[in-house]
Order: sequence, then C-alpha cells, then structure tokens
Amino acid sequence: MTLNKLERKYVPFAYMFLIPTVAVFLLFYLVPIVTVFFTSFTRWDGFNAPTFNGITNYLRFFTQSSFLISLRNLLLWSLIAATLHVGFGVLVAFILYQRPKGWKAIRAVYMIPNIISSAAMAMIFRFMFNNDFGVLNGVIRLVNPSFQVNWFFESPWAFIAITLTWLFYGAIITLIVLGDLMNIPSYLHDAAKIDGATGLQAIVHIELPLCRYAIGTSIILSITSRIAMYEAIALTTRGGPGDDTMNIPIILMKAITDLNYGLANAAAVFMFVMGIVTLLVINRLFKMNDPVY
Amino acid sequence: MSYTALSRDKLRGLGANLFIYSIMGFVFIISVFPVIWVIMSAFKENSAILGNPFSLPKGFDFNPFIQVFTQYNFGLYTMNSLVIASAATIVSLLIYSMGAYSIAKFEFPGKTMLYLLFTLTLLVPPHTKAQPIFTLVNRLGFSDTRFGLIFVYISFGMAITMFIMRITFMAIPRSLNEAAFMEGAGFWQVFWSINLPLAKTGLATSGIMMFLANWNEYFYALLLTSSPKVRTLPLALAFFTEAFSYDYTQMFAALTIVILPGIIMYILTQEQVQASVASSGVKG
Repeated sequence: MTLNKLERKYVPFAYMFLIPTVAVFLLFYLVPIVTVFFTSFTRWDGFNAPTFNGITNYLRFFTQSSFLISLRNLLLWSLIAATLHVGFGVLVAFILYQRPKGWKAIRAVYMIPNIISSAAMAMIFRFMFNNDFGVLNGVIRLVNPSFQVNWFFESPWAFIAITLTWLFYGAIITLIVLGDLMNIPSYLHDAAKIDGATGLQAIVHIELPLCRYAIGTSIILSITSRIAMYEAIALTTRGGPGDDTMNIPIILMKAITDLNYGLANAAAVFMFVMGIVTLLVINRLFKMNDPVY
Repeated sequence: MSYTALSRDKLRGLGANLFIYSIMGFVFIISVFPVIWVIMSAFKENSAILGNPFSLPKGFDFNPFIQVFTQYNFGLYTMNSLVIASAATIVSLLIYSMGAYSIAKFEFPGKTMLYLLFTLTLLVPPHTKAQPIFTLVNRLGFSDTRFGLIFVYISFGMAITMFIMRITFMAIPRSLNEAAFMEGAGFWQVFWSINLPLAKTGLATSGIMMFLANWNEYFYALLLTSSPKVRTLPLALAFFTEAFSYDYTQMFAALTIVILPGIIMYILTQEQVQASVASSGVKG
C-alpha cells in the first residue's frame, strides 16, 4: 500500500489514534506479562517479596506427572480443533453461502451456544451428560436400554465428553469464513462462470483460497481456546478421573490456590509460548501476511 | 442419453440437498436443544427431572423463578451485568476502532509490529495475568467496584476487535479517503462520518461479541469483587448452585435466568446486524 501525498500528511494523526490502544496494551498485557515472566524465576507466595530461585519452578512444572498428560491432551485437542472443529465450521459456512432455505435462521441460531457463558455452558453439559437424568444417555438408551456411562467421571469417556462440549460449536469460525466468502467480488464469480467452472471448481480454486485468511484465523482462535480452556473442565471433571482430562490452566489455578505464584507463572509462560508458536506456524502455513486480492 | 444425464443431475441435486439440510438440521438441534431443555426443566418438579429427561412440564409454575429472584436478589445482579458489560463495550469499540482504522488505512513505521502485538494478546489466556491485574486494580483503588470490572473488561476484546475492524476498514475503498482528504475534510471527520458508518457490520459484530464476553465473564468477576452489591450474573449463578446443589428445579431456573437475557439480547441485535449488512454501502 502506498499513500498519496495528502494521506501521508495525516500519518501523525494515525499515530495519535493508536495511543489509547497502546495504553491498554501496556497496562493490561505488556506489564502483566513481564511481571509474570520475571516472577516465574522466583519463589513467591504473594505476601512476601519474591526471591530468585532460578529455573526451579520450571523443573517442578515439567517433571510433575500431570504435565505430560496435560501436554498430550493439549496436542490431541489442538489437532482435533484444527481439523474436525474448524472443518465443521467451514463446512457450515460453505453450506450457508449457497443460501439454502432458512440459512439466515441457522446462522443466527448457531451462535446461541457461544452467547451462553462458558461457566453456564459447563453446568448445562454436566446435566445433559448426567448418567441418571441426562439427555445424551436418554437418547442412547432408546437404542441400548442397558447403557450406563457417567460421562464426566469415567475413563476414557471423560476425555470424549470434554471434547464434545466444543467440537461442533464452531459458530465464530462459520461467521468469519462466511464474512470473507460474502466479500468475494462478484466479478470473480462471473469470470469463473464464463470460463465454465463448476460449483466445486469454484469452491476449490476461488473461494477456499480467498478465505484462507479467515480459515487461518479460525485455526489460531480454536487452538488458543484449547490452550486456555478452563471453565469447561474446572466445572465438570476438574481434570479427572485420575488425571485424564488434566490441562495446563487447571495446573496453573491449583498453583495459585496453593499460593505458589512462581510455579503458576511458570505454567503461564509455557501457555504463552505455546500460543506464539501456534500463531507463527499457522501464519506461515496460510501465508497470512500476503494480501488476498 | 440426455434423459439419463438430466435424471443423474437431478439425483445429484437431491443428494446435495439432503446433505445440506441434514447438516443444517444437526446445527439447529445442537444449538437450540440444550437451551430448550434447560428452560423446560425449570418448570418440572425434581422427581420429573430425575424420572425422564424428555418428559414435558405439566404446567408453568413460576414459583422457582420468583424464589430465585426474591431470595437471591437476581434483579440487582442483572442490572450490574448490564451496566458493566455495556460501558466496557462502548469504550473498547471506540478505542479499538480508532486503532484498527490507523492500521488499515495508513502506512507508517512500526505498523506491522503494532498489529502483531495487538493480535498476539489473543494468545494471552486471561487466567495467566490474574495476579498482576489483581494487584493493579487494588493499587488503583478500584477493587470491589463496578468501575474496576469495566476497567479490566475494556482490555479483553482487543485482538478480536482489531481482527474484525481491520478487515472491515480494509474492505472500504481507499478512494473514499483520498477523495475526502482532497475535498479538505479533517482526519477525525473522515474517520467518524465516512469510515465508521460504512463499518457498521464490523462494529455490530465485534460489539456484540465483546458485550456477550463481558456479560458472561466469570473469572475476573470472582477475583475482583466480593460484595453482593457489585455481583454479576455468572458469579451469582455459581454462588447459587453451591447453596442449592440438590434442588434441580431451582438450579435450572437460575440457569434460565442467567442464559436467557443474553440470548434475547442476541436475537434482538442479530436483526440489527442483518439489517446493517443489507443497508451498508460496502459489499464485495
């Protein structure tokens, strides 16, 4: 993008417009992150001043048994999120883009589970997956009357149950991708039609590449949601049974309640690094810095 | 020959339709059923809830709702949630629109770096900053106030709003800016009167998303407030379920009270979003 002379004159104003955002960034992100980073190398209970203890917190964090399970869970969940979860959201977007009857209603309705607070949603799933009065087992018992599974409290079902609380809820992905699809200039479609492209060819050669930014964004969003997933676990399985559904935020919160702020912040640094790696990798894979048009 | 080709096409069309509508049906069920089930269960007696998950309520007994409101002051909590979520949303919409506008429309050193940093905030899970923000709010004397929550919530929508508003502003033709500057319009005027009205769709989408995130926020409300007079709805729900873990009817009633206003508000603003999509001047 090159600016003309007049626009260049207004660049100082553009900087001024950025001041409030930068202020929020400093106050609520940079300073807290720096604090978290430095205190992760200290012993700190929140009352006494932190004292430097090297990489002790990290050693403790990486060697505790629940860490390996958390890491395995995170990798599995991220893989499922990037493929099945985003795939489903994109599929719904492409279906709605064909404007079938009722597409507006479905687009509207699909957001409803995202509207509900994750705390309330966790409670709803706890009830729906309840062995005694839950709807899931109610449906399964129509086929198999002797079915008994206490989803959130039995291995290996708990992992599946947690996955099911988000797997098909890809409304934000659908919205982002649908927005990009609808922004595709109509001349591109006309050109494709004149060249004799079929519907599927148009999807593969025009629509998918043009919304690669939206798909990349969706993958980043869904993986970072898995890194940060807290309420869905804390208000259902609490990481159990055993350590089956353990994840890093659960470890972090336990360290905070144990007043071990150094260890908690070491876990926080690890989560942060995982997020950056996700962003850089997906950004590269989807060439998200290149202009789309 | 042409007859078979036609019927094959028809068959393929039928198959595609079947696929499309079964996916749409599935999306409808997983999105609507949990809500209807929660509301229905709030009108059922404890024994009916435990008996059959699909049984319909016998009538509409609003007593569980009245009890939840009278015993637990849910009116005040609803008001708190409303005030805090709206104030934080309006302030952040203004702040981040200004930022995203500069990044989308101008070229200057540090621009890519700033955008990267702002969007990186998405990768910072809110829980990881708990202790520093707790300390910050305490030092400023905002702890246990509505203002303290508004103050913290303003920071939450940064990445998503930057994403959405940057894309929105980039979709507005730059020739509009060039022409307006040529005619002697000021920087603020071009932003406020030309670009913002054309960015209605993006504003509505990010505004609704931020509002609902604020409306639903649980963790920082728990961390930064203690007295009932500033308590928000999700927090009230958690306190409530702790006290009534065996009365399923009242629990479902409390759940209904917490989730229904958000859903109603969404349905109302959803119409506005669609209207603004239809009326906005910018379409690909």
